[in-house]
Formats: sequence, C-alpha cells, structure tokens
Amino acid sequence: MSTATRPARAGAWLLAAPALGLLTAFLVLPYLNMVVMSFRTPSTSNVFAPGFTIANYVDVLGDEDLYYLKILWETLSLGFVTTLICLVLGFPLAYHLARSRSRWSALLYAFVLSPLLVGVVVRCYGWIIILANNEGLINSSLRQLGWIETYIPLMYNWVGVTIGLVHIFLPFMILPITAAIQSIDPRLEEAARSLGASRLTAIRRTVLPLAVPGIQAGSILVFVLTISSYVIPVLLGGFNVVLMPTLVVQQLLDAMLWPFGAALAFVLAIAGTVVVWLYLVLTNRLIRGVTG
Amino acid sequence: MTRVAIERLTKRFDDTLAVDALDLEIGDHEFVSLLGPSGCGKTTTLRCIAGFEEPTSGRIAFDGVDVVDRFPEERNIGMVFQNYALFPHMTVRENLAFGLEMRGVASAEIERRTRRALEVVQLGDFGHRYPRQLSGGQQQRVALARAIVIEPAILLLDEPLANLDAKLREEMRFFIRGLQQEVGITTVYVTHDQGEAMVMSDRIVVMFEGVADQIGPPQEIYNRPATRRVASFIGQSNFVAAEVVAREDPDHVRLTTPLGPMRARFSGETPPGAKFDLVLRPEAVAVTDDAGGDNTFRGRLEERYFLGNQLACRLRTEDGELMSLVAPPWLAAEVGAELVGHFAADRTWLVAR
Ligand SMILES: Nc1ncnc2c1ncn2[C@@H]1O[C@H](COP(=O)(O)OP(=O)(O)O)[C@@H](O)[C@H]1O
Ligand SMILES: [Mg+2]
Repeated sequence: MSTATRPARAGAWLLAAPALGLLTAFLVLPYLNMVVMSFRTPSTSNVFAPGFTIANYVDVLGDEDLYYLKILWETLSLGFVTTLICLVLGFPLAYHLARSRSRWSALLYAFVLSPLLVGVVVRCYGWIIILANNEGLINSSLRQLGWIETYIPLMYNWVGVTIGLVHIFLPFMILPITAAIQSIDPRLEEAARSLGASRLTAIRRTVLPLAVPGIQAGSILVFVLTISSYVIPVLLGGFNVVLMPTLVVQQLLDAMLWPFGAALAFVLAIAGTVVVWLYLVLTNRLIRGVTG
Repeated sequence: MTRVAIERLTKRFDDTLAVDALDLEIGDHEFVSLLGPSGCGKTTTLRCIAGFEEPTSGRIAFDGVDVVDRFPEERNIGMVFQNYALFPHMTVRENLAFGLEMRGVASAEIERRTRRALEVVQLGDFGHRYPRQLSGGQQQRVALARAIVIEPAILLLDEPLANLDAKLREEMRFFIRGLQQEVGITTVYVTHDQGEAMVMSDRIVVMFEGVADQIGPPQEIYNRPATRRVASFIGQSNFVAAEVVAREDPDHVRLTTPLGPMRARFSGETPPGAKFDLVLRPEAVAVTDDAGGDNTFRGRLEERYFLGNQLACRLRTEDGELMSLVAPPWLAAEVGAELVGHFAADRTWLVAR
C-alpha cells in the first residue's frame, strides 16, 4: 500500500464506525453474554445461581447416551445435505442466470428470488398444503391416480424439513454463484472448446474452479442458515425432527435452563465454525492460481 | 494441411446482417486476413468457421467435408482470442497441456510437446508461471503456443495484436507470419489494421457491412481496388470524378475529368457512359515543371508537412478539389506557390462511383 491511500483508509474507518458500534452493541455483547451464561451455575428457582462451573459442558458432551452429540451430528448432517442439494440445484441455475441473454432470464431471476419475498411461516404453510400426509397435494393426487393406497410420508420427517430448507435457502446459494460466474470471461469456455473440450467439460474445467469463491460464499451461507434454523424444522418436522436450535429454545423457554441452553448454543457455534473453516481450507486449494 | 471453402455464408442477428453471402476459398497453407472497419462482420465470420456461431445460411467445408453441424470441439481448430482467454487458474504449462489432454495424448508426450511449443514462442522458462505473472506480449505468445501445440487443421486469430503496444505489435507481425510459414498451417487472421494485413497475408478479404468487396493479394488490393470504399480504406487516395471517353488498349483508357483530359490504367469493364472515380495514390503524384504534359494538373500549395523522408503536400486545384501528394523533402515551394502535379497513367486505377 502506498502512503497516499492512508488518509482514505482513516476516512473509511470513520465511515464504518456507526456500523461497528451497532455490531458491538447488538452482536458481540449478546454473544459474550451467552458465553458467560454457559459457564454459570444452573438454578431451578432463578435464571442462574452464583458461581461458575463447567458442568453445563460436561452435561452436553458427556451425556451417557451421547444424546446431545447425536443431535449435533444430525444437525450438521442436515446442514451438509441441504448445502449439497442447494449447490447441485443452484449451480446450473446460477450458470444460466449469469450467461443467458434471453428476455426470460429476468423472469427466472424473479422466480429464484421469490422465496425471499414471502414470510417463512407463509412459505411453510404452502409446503404443508403440498406435502401433508393425507390431504396434501402430492399424496391425494397419487391416491387418485391409484398409484398408492395410503400416503407417502413427506412431512413430519427429515424429507419435509430438507425440502423446505432447500426451497428457502436456494437463493442464498444462487446469488453469490451467479455473481461469481458473471465475472468469468465467457471466452474461457470458448477457448476450452476450441481446444477440444465438450461443453460440459469446458464448464467443469474453467467456470467451476473459477466460481469457487462464489460457491464458498453460497455454501457457507446455506450451511450456517440451515444449522441455525428453527421455524422450518418445527413446522415441517414436528416432533420427529429434533435439531440443536430446537433443543436450545426448549432449554431457554420451556425448561428455563439458561446456562445449559447457552452451552448447547455455544457448542453448536463452535462445531459450525470448525466445519466452515475446514471447508475453506479444503476448497482454497482449488483456486491457488487465482488468489494469493 | 487443410483447405477451407466458404459458400454464401450468411449470419443474421435479430436485426443486423453481420455477414452477407460471403464466398471464400482458402488454400492449403494459405494465410488469409479478414480486413475491414469495426463492425463489418470479421469476428462473426471467424466464429462461424470456429463453430461458435451457427450460420443463418451457407456452407463451410474443411477439405470438402461440410462442418456446419459440427461442434467447435469437433473441428480441430486452434484459436487465439483478442484478450488471449488464457485460463487464469492454470500455469502456462497447464494451459498448453489442456488441448493435448482433451485429445488423450500420453503425459510424457504432453510434456515433450508443451516444452517444444514454449521454446518455439521463446518462453522456455515460463512454464510454471501463472498468466497474470506475464506481460501482455508474453501472454499473447502463450495464447499462440496453446493454439498450435495441438497441431490444429486451421489456425484462427481474432485481432491478436490489438492489445499490444505499437513496437511489439510490429515485431509480432513478422513473428506470427514466420511461425505460420514454418508450421505451414492454414490461417485466418482478423484485423482492422491494414499494415498488419499487408505484411502478413497471402490474400486479404476486404469487408464492409458484411460484404466482401474484394479478395486478393495485398498488391492487388492496393493497386487495383475493386470499389471506392476499398480504395479509401486501404492507404490514402485522391478521387477524381472521371468519364471514359475511349479505350486505348486492353489496359488503358482515355478520360475526361474536371482537371482536364487524362489517361489511366484500367482493364475492367467500361460500359459507355459509365461514371468512375480515378484513384490517385498520393505517392503516385509528383511535382513537375512540365506544365503542358500528359496527366498534369495545376494547383496552389495549401498545406505542407515535413515528415523527414518526405514532404506531404495538399494542392488546391482550379476547380476547388484538394489533392494530396508526396514530394521529396527538399522541395522549396512555400504555401501559396503555384505547382503542377503529374502522375503516370500506369499508377492509377478506376473504381465505380
Ligand atoms: N451476438 C451478437 N448479437 C447481436 N449482434 C451481434 C452479435 N455479434 C455481432 N453482432 C453484430 O454484427 C455486426 C458484426 O460484428 P462483428 O463480426 O463483431 O464485427 P467486427 O469483428 O468486424 O468488428 C455488428 O453490427 C455487431 O453489432
Ligand atoms: Mg471483431
């Protein structure tokens, strides 16, 4: 950096100060409060008793049936699966959005963004109408066609939760990938094809690796949103799908066990961070030539 | 190693006719340039040959085999793009190896051929670098090496020198021409730079608005332009309105012009009453003392520019036309002087008005 840019830098910090202040007040402080809470002594009559302990973490990690670790693993697994499905569905759509010059692509854009325009509860009820076991659109149609006798369980299980999550988080995968692909020169694909690559191979060898930053951003967004989602699993999964956020809310609101709930939340946050970090380390190798 | 036959090639985008019924035969080992102003359809023609654009109508054949229905990857072409389109996430060596991998060449052979290609473009030590670590000229040569290492049937280049500085551009003309001669590859070269096309090409296709006005060797394009716009696009020209009076011999005609009666070289058709423009290149016009001779005209010196090896002059003729001519740098005449211009009949040509 040359010295000439320094005053500009100082100005930028000043401009960022209000945002930083807000972030500290509403994000960092509550987070610190949660960490402190997770080390407090639980109490049945109060929010917490005096003194500090690691008992909450011992309870989470050392449970005899590994109950909480199993829920953690299922939460992370749901994160992997949702992210993977969003990536597989989202990449072709993002590619199309970035490359198409047709007048229909504006319509496709609106379609892709539509899940963000409707509240989460409304969207879930939409899915309930489609997926419900007896009167749902899919099951009643299949029954009328005579293809099934009773119903295929599409709701109050992992299938329903995954469908709902994929639908709602797909835009978070598509938008960063579209932006990444738009910045990739279409001539690279043509160069690859002139050298003998098929259309798909050209995309795989040029667009895919160069879109990795967009894929990283989209995947992290979807993964983090999934493992911390509460409303969709509750509405579409019912009692059959228990995830970490569900447990945390139960501890905080139903059982009033704030220190234990805080410990659960913190364990989830750490696990999520580790997964994201591992993912970045692994995928950064793919783009060694472009960055750094 | 490959002949290319283009017949009635037409490409229409929504409302623009980019290429209009182009006919072109390219011989084995031949270097053909597509030359013309921006937007005349050069790139579109090249992309039709490559297979990136589907012709609206017409035929393209390599060695007699129609390729219109083939994908670009099935045409065995080497292509150099204006911005080079090097793969930024691959090293120079990986860029070169890409086409060979696609052809299933064994890795030892890939290693050998990429190394040789890098030596040919004088980048032997740069194989491990990434494109962004190279200068523009080096990137250009990598793009060239990547296109020829696969030993394609046809080499296609779209303004490959447009992004280089003037000096490098000059050098690369000879380098690319030399390489093409050495490899003996059939080449189609797109440019809007007439100097480039002149130096490098066996034949030049001069295009305007999708139409090829003339196809021929550089000398022919320059000395016997087929249309007025070819004459004014290639080099500089004075145009003098002329009417054919009579044919003198198969190669010469007598004319009446506003400058007086003239003799000109022209072997084309001269239907009676046809109106022409006499094409007079500035360097074909000399200042003379002999006021009464054949093919002379009077004018007042209006502008003079000393260019070192020559003096560029503009004469205002009696009927008000401005004529450019090239005088020797020692010509003593000052602005305002009355001069006589003279040209040899054999250095002129006629184009339809
Ligand atoms: N993909 C396209 N869509 C619409 N019009 C195009 C497209 N490509 C080229 N054109 C038009 O076709 C004409 C010829 O373009 P081009 O072949 O690129 O010219 P050149 O390479 O000679 O500058 C231009 O008028 C251009 O605007
Ligand atoms: Mg062009």
